[in-house]
Amino acid sequence: MADIGILRAAIAPVRRLWRRPAAVEIAPKVGDDEEDARVHFRDGLVKRRGGNSEGALAAFDRALALVPEFADAVMARAEILDSLGRSIEAHAEYERARGLWSELPPGAADRRYVFRRQGYFAFEAESYNLVRTNVRSKILPQLAHGNARLARGRAAEALDSYERALKVNPKLVEVLALKGEALSALGRYEEAIQIFDGVLAANPKDGDTLNGRGIARAALGRLADANDDWRRQFELLPQTSSAARACVAMRMGNCSAAFNEFALAVAKEPNNPYWLLYRLTAARLAGAPAELVTLPADDRWPTPLLAFRTGQVTEEVLLHRATSPARHAEARFQMGVLAVDGNPAAARRYWREVVDQGPPALIEFAAASNELARLGA
Amino acid sequence: MFSVILYGRNDSHGYNLHKRAAISFNALAEVMSDPDDEILFVDYNTPDDHPTFPEAIHDTLTDKAKKVMRVLRVRPDQHVRHRLKTHLVALEAQSRNVALRRSNPRNRWILYTNTDMLLVPRDERESLSDILGAIPDGFYQVPRFEIPEMLWEAAFDRRDPVGNLAKLRDWSVRFHLNQVVHNYMPMKYDALGDFQAALREDMFAIHGFDEDMILGWHCDSNLAARLALYRGRVDTLIDKLFGYHCDHTRVAAANNKGRATRMNDQDRFIWNVATPYVPAQAETWGWPDVEMEEIRLDRDTAYQRFTAGLDKVIEPATAPFVETSLEWQLFDDLTYDLPHTLPFVCDQVVTFPRSTALMLVATRSDFVSSFAKAWKGMGFTGPILIPEECGGLPADLPGVERAPFAEQLSSAELFIFEFGLATQTATEPVRAGREIGPIDKKRLKVAERLFKRAAATEADTRPDGRRVPRRFIGVNVIYNKFWQTFTNYVGANINPFCSQVLAGPPRQDESLKGKVLKFRGRHAL
Repeated sequence: MADIGILRAAIAPVRRLWRRPAAVEIAPKVGDDEEDARVHFRDGLVKRRGGNSEGALAAFDRALALVPEFADAVMARAEILDSLGRSIEAHAEYERARGLWSELPPGAADRRYVFRRQGYFAFEAESYNLVRTNVRSKILPQLAHGNARLARGRAAEALDSYERALKVNPKLVEVLALKGEALSALGRYEEAIQIFDGVLAANPKDGDTLNGRGIARAALGRLADANDDWRRQFELLPQTSSAARACVAMRMGNCSAAFNEFALAVAKEPNNPYWLLYRLTAARLAGAPAELVTLPADDRWPTPLLAFRTGQVTEEVLLHRATSPARHAEARFQMGVLAVDGNPAAARRYWREVVDQGPPALIEFAAASNELARLGA
Repeated sequence: MFSVILYGRNDSHGYNLHKRAAISFNALAEVMSDPDDEILFVDYNTPDDHPTFPEAIHDTLTDKAKKVMRVLRVRPDQHVRHRLKTHLVALEAQSRNVALRRSNPRNRWILYTNTDMLLVPRDERESLSDILGAIPDGFYQVPRFEIPEMLWEAAFDRRDPVGNLAKLRDWSVRFHLNQVVHNYMPMKYDALGDFQAALREDMFAIHGFDEDMILGWHCDSNLAARLALYRGRVDTLIDKLFGYHCDHTRVAAANNKGRATRMNDQDRFIWNVATPYVPAQAETWGWPDVEMEEIRLDRDTAYQRFTAGLDKVIEPATAPFVETSLEWQLFDDLTYDLPHTLPFVCDQVVTFPRSTALMLVATRSDFVSSFAKAWKGMGFTGPILIPEECGGLPADLPGVERAPFAEQLSSAELFIFEFGLATQTATEPVRAGREIGPIDKKRLKVAERLFKRAAATEADTRPDGRRVPRRFIGVNVIYNKFWQTFTNYVGANINPFCSQVLAGPPRQDESLKGKVLKFRGRHAL
């Protein structure tokens, strides 16, 4: 026993080195601010698990310096401050994190669950990454990790996670469907459609997959096929799912149905500015009388779109506020909606831009495609 | 704002179950402040002749707890289809889904917890309704902190939730109770099932708990996995409230057998979950087509129904006491005091469903007319079935149906057999050596024959779809010749003579004697 004790003592420094968690002291620049912030965030989590609260706080601060609205880092700070007894500071941080999360606009209601929630999902990506290294050969950790990355637009990482899950069980249609979504997000539409076809052969009533296949088909210019999928999805959705029905109706260019369904969605979720915007849009395209709109108090996206529709913001200001390709497409689409009665050629031009440059998963992409088809463009 | 969903069973498990449950019910009610808030307790598979668990402890509950609590009673006959598939007598997923289906649709939140939890808002000025009203949509959990068993047993007053919450605020600091136990995602914390707050809308969207989980354990982790997928995130409310668990490990819970514990497959229900939904149960979860009995503790209670029934048929006693005797020489005297006996008969039936169809075979017409009035008075809506073979009984009582015994047998859900003297009058003395006359003998013979046939053929004559044995109540079957007759066929306890009543299910006697008795009963020899 004594000999073993001496041996242990001799190799202790080496063992400590070997066991030391792979903390990232100086994060290398890996890409955009969000990814760099994520590296700092990961560093903070590792330090926190290792009992280094101050180091963790510093890492989260570095992450927040890069992306001030990084809610996951704010929440992680709050929990550390709380555990250190700094409850007043912690309280403000908890509230700030919740505020940041709830300010993120929700995703389209007609899409698969993974796209309906918005957030950074950095904590989830890191946590499930840890789980999958410990709980091996299981579906959930891979799937949840993939979802966290897919929801944040990191489709390549998501695809890798889904493929790892499929190694455990290659026949799981739920995971295959998600793989299809990741492929579609990567622009590999033909492969995505092939997978969606298989999923739908197993379950023809899978509305989420019909939606996904419709998007992929529309991206390839197969609008009639896409509309078939969305029409079928619309039929499958229960009457109570008014927001989802409204979104899919909008996608397939059935503006009168969208107008009615968005009215129900607005009644259910009056604080969702997109439902208000889309109801206005559907009304205009369906030729329904215009309604008075009260703009949300805050100026966050998509309020500028509503302000544009009510004449309170110019095209230039709107485009200036459209800071991503998706927002740019949303802005161009609304410009087309406003122009279509008086200047159909301009509307065509705006909508063509949406279809040529916008992300195919956007409702506006599908709606613009259908409006262009209607105008004979 | 929110519906709390709990479940349990009145099976007297553990010596301190009643105390921790009362503490928990009262504490949960105390942190409610919205008029729509409710505690839904699913009383699962309590025997039909027992009151539900909350009814059994109602005297230890605060008025507020009684006001907000809705008890949904799942009868043994509703559980029976699962009986062969599980060793458990109470099923969590089924219970919680039954409550979810019937929860107040005006409430935004569903809170899943258990009957040994106290939730303590960190800001004393806030209620849980305030807290849940102010947070964004999501799926929230809080870590569970343990209270040593001695502390809550010795120091908590069941009916003082405010005092108990104040004590916890003090103890948490003095005794270092607040230790957060982190867990892998998606569980987030250990013992997560003691606080899971989800949107009611989300719970409907994912089809509730997975009802394939019938072996116990991990229902909470499965829910966490599915809601974490559906919502993308598992949020915490640790900044808003702390959850304390009344530790109860001196006596293990019914589903805790140490290393021999049988449980739901962790891989299937946690680590290999691939979707938030359970499409196979999309139309059936929570038994939407089953009419569920609902019991309130603040109105129309069992006591109120009992007194309402008896007040219709018996006058208050005019003497300090009445007398009877069990002396041996009176063995053949079948007289009994009806006003004294009737409360014990009503006691046997009041916990049964109001729609119960009851077969009543009797000899005394005053028993029949009194019981029929009491039955109505107690709020029963099911018919009283009296076989035509029973002579000398009132013909046109409301709610009474007459038909041949054989026709009625398969409609009856509960039996009363009364063995008295048809000729006994209301004013004559009881057990004073009365002889049995020819009419008495004739009526008793019919009652005995029908009893034996009903008991011997019970398993073969149940109503369609019923699998639980029906209960037999014997009136005036103690210390007289019908004691042996009754207990030959019915597994009744030994009751005091004073109660006059025995009850139980048909005996399952596989001995030769049992088989002979069954044969004789079937053919009423």
